[in-house]
Amino acid sequence: MSSSDPVLRLRVLAAGLHAGLYAEEHLPLPYDRVWAVAADLEAELPHLLPFLREFRVPPGDTDRTPALAVGRSGLTEPFEVRLAPGWCLMQSRLVVGGMAATPEADGTRFAVLGATRPTVLRPAQWLYGRLLGERRGRAFIDRLAERAALR
Amino acid sequence: MDRQDIQGIQGIQGEDGGRAAPWDAAAALVRAAQDGDALAMDELLALVTPYVTRLCRPIAPHEVADAVQESLLAVFKGLRTLRDPRAFYGWVRTATVREAVRVARRAPAEEPADPADLARLGGLRADADGELPADVRDVLARLPVRHRAVLVLRELEGLDEATVAGLLGVPQGTVKSRLSRARSSFRKAWSR
Repeated sequence: MSSSDPVLRLRVLAAGLHAGLYAEEHLPLPYDRVWAVAADLEAELPHLLPFLREFRVPPGDTDRTPALAVGRSGLTEPFEVRLAPGWCLMQSRLVVGGMAATPEADGTRFAVLGATRPTVLRPAQWLYGRLLGERRGRAFIDRLAERAALR
Repeated sequence: MDRQDIQGIQGIQGEDGGRAAPWDAAAALVRAAQDGDALAMDELLALVTPYVTRLCRPIAPHEVADAVQESLLAVFKGLRTLRDPRAFYGWVRTATVREAVRVARRAPAEEPADPADLARLGGLRADADGELPADVRDVLARLPVRHRAVLVLRELEGLDEATVAGLLGVPQGTVKSRLSRARSSFRKAWSR
């Protein structure tokens, strides 16, 4: 069933949000190690997203918990976060980010999602998604795999 | 919508099998999800998945997971086109039945495995102490290697299709179709 596999669930959300960025990959790393990096939002997210300087959020699993993103430019954006095993959704007024992971034969299937929220941005999201979405998504997963391998 | 409301809906759905539930209560989540609220969409997905699964099971009994996933993809991809959020469940039902039928028809080679054969295969592992009886080995040997491989990995080793696909280096769909043909060949060979 879809809800039992976080990656399948994120695929559905990517379809529903018409996400400009979605990528998933098999990583030859244990699930626990991969998810330890993904779930450590405050420490790891700034390493994974080049435009992010800080992400302030209480540690541990949360539901609709307020968080604050601080960009390289110093701009701040309030977020709401839902974090559970293998599942992470973060959203602000403007953007949505998501990660999902599930154990898969000798490794982990990992997925990442990025979407813009306001309807007016959707055509642009579609265009940029076509040009950049998959490559940016893969770059994110590559960085995450590097961080996980270091642990 | 708060958590209690959601639980209320789930409870009622569970009791009446998805009929005449107060679908209206899902409307707030639908509206928020249509506005791109991913957290609301996530809650709506959790809310509707048991219902979609219940619908898919009898229609595509051999492809339930695929049917559920395809249905949910169709439902959420088209969510913004739904004008009246109160019509959500009827709309979900339509989309799910359409997708489940499509998935069930997609694999005409997939014939239901004979439960007696599968029981026999499953039982063999338990009482054979790791070694297959000669007559079963004989039957298996008459099958093409690719069929033997999926049968053994799937039925005797109890591995899931994804793992079998990974081990054999073929797509999961190939494992599925080979398994179907293998089961039917096994049945024919056994009864010869």
